[in-house]
Amino acid sequence: MAGSDLYVGTLDVLILKALSWGPMHGYAIGRWIRQTTDDALTVQEGALYPALHRLQRRGWLEEEWGVSETGREAKYYRMSPAGRRHLRAEVERWRTYARAVMAALDAAPA
Amino acid sequence: MSAFRRLFRLPGSSANVARDVGSELGFHLDMRTQELIDAGMGPQAARLAALQAFGDLEAIEGECRDIAARGARERARRDTMLGLAHDLRFALRSLRKAPGFTLVAILTLGLGIGANTAVFSMIRGVLLRPLPYEDGERLVYLKQPAPLSGVANAQFSVPELVDYRERSRGLQSIVEYHSMPFILLGQGEPRRVQTGVVSANYFDVLGVKPMMGRAFRTGEDQSGAEPVLVLSYAFWQNRLGGDPGIVGRTFEMNDRIHTVIGILPPVPQYPAENDIYMPSSSCPFRSSSFTTTTRTARLLHLFGRLGPGVTLAQAQSELAGLATTMRAEYPAAYPSGRGFSIEAASLHDELTKQAKPTLLLLLGTTGFVLLIACANIANLTLARLVRRSREMALRAALGADRARLFRQMLVEGSLLALAGGVLGLALAAGTMRLLTSFAARFTPRAAEISLDGQVLAFTLVVCMLTGLVFAVLPALPSRANLVSALKEGGAATSGGGSHRVRAALVVAQVAVSMVLMVGAGLMLRSLLALQALDPGFDTQRVLTMTLDLNWSRYTTNELVLGFHDQLHARLAGQPGVMATASSLTFPLDGHRRINVNFAIEGQPPAEAGAEPLGDLRSATPEYFQTLGIPLVTGRFFTASDGPNSPGVAVVNQTLAQRYWGKETAVGHRISADTGKTWITIVGVVGDVHHYSLESEPSEEVYLPFSQVPFRESSFLVRTSADPGAMARRIGEEVLSIDPGQPLANIQTLEEVRGEALASPRLTTSLLLMFALLALCITAAGLGAVVAFSVSQRTQEIGVRMALGAGRAEVLGMVLREGLQLVIIGLALGIASAVLLTRLMSGLLYQVEATDPITFAGMALVLVLIAAAACLAPARRASAVDPMVALRAT
Repeated sequence: MAGSDLYVGTLDVLILKALSWGPMHGYAIGRWIRQTTDDALTVQEGALYPALHRLQRRGWLEEEWGVSETGREAKYYRMSPAGRRHLRAEVERWRTYARAVMAALDAAPA
Repeated sequence: MSAFRRLFRLPGSSANVARDVGSELGFHLDMRTQELIDAGMGPQAARLAALQAFGDLEAIEGECRDIAARGARERARRDTMLGLAHDLRFALRSLRKAPGFTLVAILTLGLGIGANTAVFSMIRGVLLRPLPYEDGERLVYLKQPAPLSGVANAQFSVPELVDYRERSRGLQSIVEYHSMPFILLGQGEPRRVQTGVVSANYFDVLGVKPMMGRAFRTGEDQSGAEPVLVLSYAFWQNRLGGDPGIVGRTFEMNDRIHTVIGILPPVPQYPAENDIYMPSSSCPFRSSSFTTTTRTARLLHLFGRLGPGVTLAQAQSELAGLATTMRAEYPAAYPSGRGFSIEAASLHDELTKQAKPTLLLLLGTTGFVLLIACANIANLTLARLVRRSREMALRAALGADRARLFRQMLVEGSLLALAGGVLGLALAAGTMRLLTSFAARFTPRAAEISLDGQVLAFTLVVCMLTGLVFAVLPALPSRANLVSALKEGGAATSGGGSHRVRAALVVAQVAVSMVLMVGAGLMLRSLLALQALDPGFDTQRVLTMTLDLNWSRYTTNELVLGFHDQLHARLAGQPGVMATASSLTFPLDGHRRINVNFAIEGQPPAEAGAEPLGDLRSATPEYFQTLGIPLVTGRFFTASDGPNSPGVAVVNQTLAQRYWGKETAVGHRISADTGKTWITIVGVVGDVHHYSLESEPSEEVYLPFSQVPFRESSFLVRTSADPGAMARRIGEEVLSIDPGQPLANIQTLEEVRGEALASPRLTTSLLLMFALLALCITAAGLGAVVAFSVSQRTQEIGVRMALGAGRAEVLGMVLREGLQLVIIGLALGIASAVLLTRLMSGLLYQVEATDPITFAGMALVLVLIAAAACLAPARRASAVDPMVALRAT
């Protein structure tokens, strides 16, 4: 399961992205990340939870308890307005970063 | 449970956090396991795989918990701060909307807190603060009581001092003190100075460091040492203008040149304030061979410092042992009939014992006043709460829980209490000078009273408690269902628990007021008794002064008598002077008691120590007329009772009664020198309250001043007009006879008596003031409760009237309702007062602590005031128009 190491902040941005479509519980977020990244970025699944709690503590996520699709009580995360703003900024940063790195990698020899 | 938790998932407790994290991670693992099972794995293998994929479960769970717990704490703190800020704004707004209530509350609290702060500042300065001497709590004051002859402290002689000093191990050092008046010459006119005569190491042992210059050095109390003086702070400031160059100056005193070596800081002086201090060798009386060798010449006060690790009790028992030995060694000096013993008292207690009961009484009183004030504000708050029930209900509906509403009340209460506290502090600061002069009547420590940090802390604590009290009281009525009651709003609340609480508050207020009124009433009765007391002399138009002749100049009886005769002769013909007299003491002058042992002719000599004892009065013939002391039988002294004529005496009624009973004392002879010379009793005069108004007359022996003259004496003038105007002329006459001779303590006898009455009068007025304040607050509270109850029952009253109840009936009903509360409170108050006033019986004069007249009188006053307070709302109730009242619904 050990994929390549995550770049710092990657997991946070992926969590926020996952939640940008609506409230989800932790398991669903993990599943979404696994599926959308084809397991390429997967670290140990447990690492997701401290990240979730950290994001919640910073006020980017809010918790809400609800009933899961299997009928169990589960903790759902919802993005706060501040979280949404943060996601936008992070996505922008990632794009710039990725563009710069790609440009460098694709550059022809001088 | 889970549904509730979903709705109101409260962040906070660490147990919640742990449970939440556990269930979140468990959910993940279960889901993952199920996913793997669905993909075809066996349940056990799936579980293992899920766990493995998850990673270190324990570490992750721990990490999540930490983060979540920290977050929860931060959130709680933020919520509290936000809530508090909101509550504060809200409280300010709602107080602004009720300016009348706010003003009354702040004023009442300000008075209550101010009174408590003021009294506490006295208690702090006088009772609690450590003595301003270095390590002052280890200082002891020694007393030598002789209870069988009624002497609380016979003091000590020089041989006794020497013995105790040599033999005691428990006391590190023992120092002596006595006080004498001397005449200080140089630097302006002659001054009579009260002089403390002390050991060289006196200030070192007491732990007092001079403010300027130095204290006495070892050896300066040995004979032949250079005469030196230390000045008290007050004398330096008031009499020498605070001259900074005073150290090193010289004064003439007792024919010797004395050098000022130091100035004391302003410290309390015990047992008396002195102008200056000198080492014992400089006092001609102290260094005479009679004083240094006579074991019964007891003139010294002794102070000691407890040795390291020695307790007061240990020192006391050691001294008692030494005293027993001494009594065995010198039986003649300790007649068994007088019951000599020794006592070591903490100096702190000695300095404060007189003030303590009064201060504690005042603290109790002001504490009660504050309680009454609190009850009143709680009452007003309750009434407001009911009126605000709509608002409260709205807030409750909007989700404010009970804790939140309670906090709101607490914030409002604290705001009011703090505002009251600020007002109270201002009041206390404003009355500081008054308090200090009041306390100075009881203790030398009065100057130490100030609003220091501890007093401020006390005030703050009182404020906080007060705020808490009226936040809690209104919440009491429906502890379980405040919110729901409020949601219903209006009438239900006012009729139910809330009304009962308000009634209970009024009952408590009445009870406490009754206690305070009885206390004040007893003090008033006691004061009136003191004022009405016939002291046995006439205080009108008598001028008194101290005339202490110079030690070094008036060395013989002839010189002393010569001076007095000259002064009498010069004043005799002057306009306005009706009579002049010289005497050793005069009534209420605070002079020390001088006893004379005597034998009665014809009676077998009494056992040593059990001889008849009288208080010595030495007086010129005019003394009796000047003071208006009546003659009972025989005659007063006359001019012919001169120095060389046969010895005569006049005794007072109490003494005559004691030794001669129904028989007349006149004509009997007594001897003060065990039969060597005999003195004939020529007259019996009326009793005089000599030492204080409240003390019973003692047994007195008057001897003619001409036969027993004293250098330290009093001079009395009876005038036909205002005695105050005579003072100057008498002073001039004295100076014209001897330009080096000062007069001191010039006061009219009326002033002297006023001084004696001043402290009970002040204490009584303070207590009366507080009782009156309590009564007013209570009456207001009662009136408010009745008025509120009437306003809530307008409809019911209307129905009653429509059914035929008359106005008088309604009036009676309302009055009865109010007075019912008063009667219950009164009963409780009387019961408590019976228990409590006993504590103050030591302060009362000729009044029992359970004096029925005071109790009945105060109860009557309270009922009348209460009835008056109920009358206004009762009148309003009886004026209800039934039609209007009924239509209003």
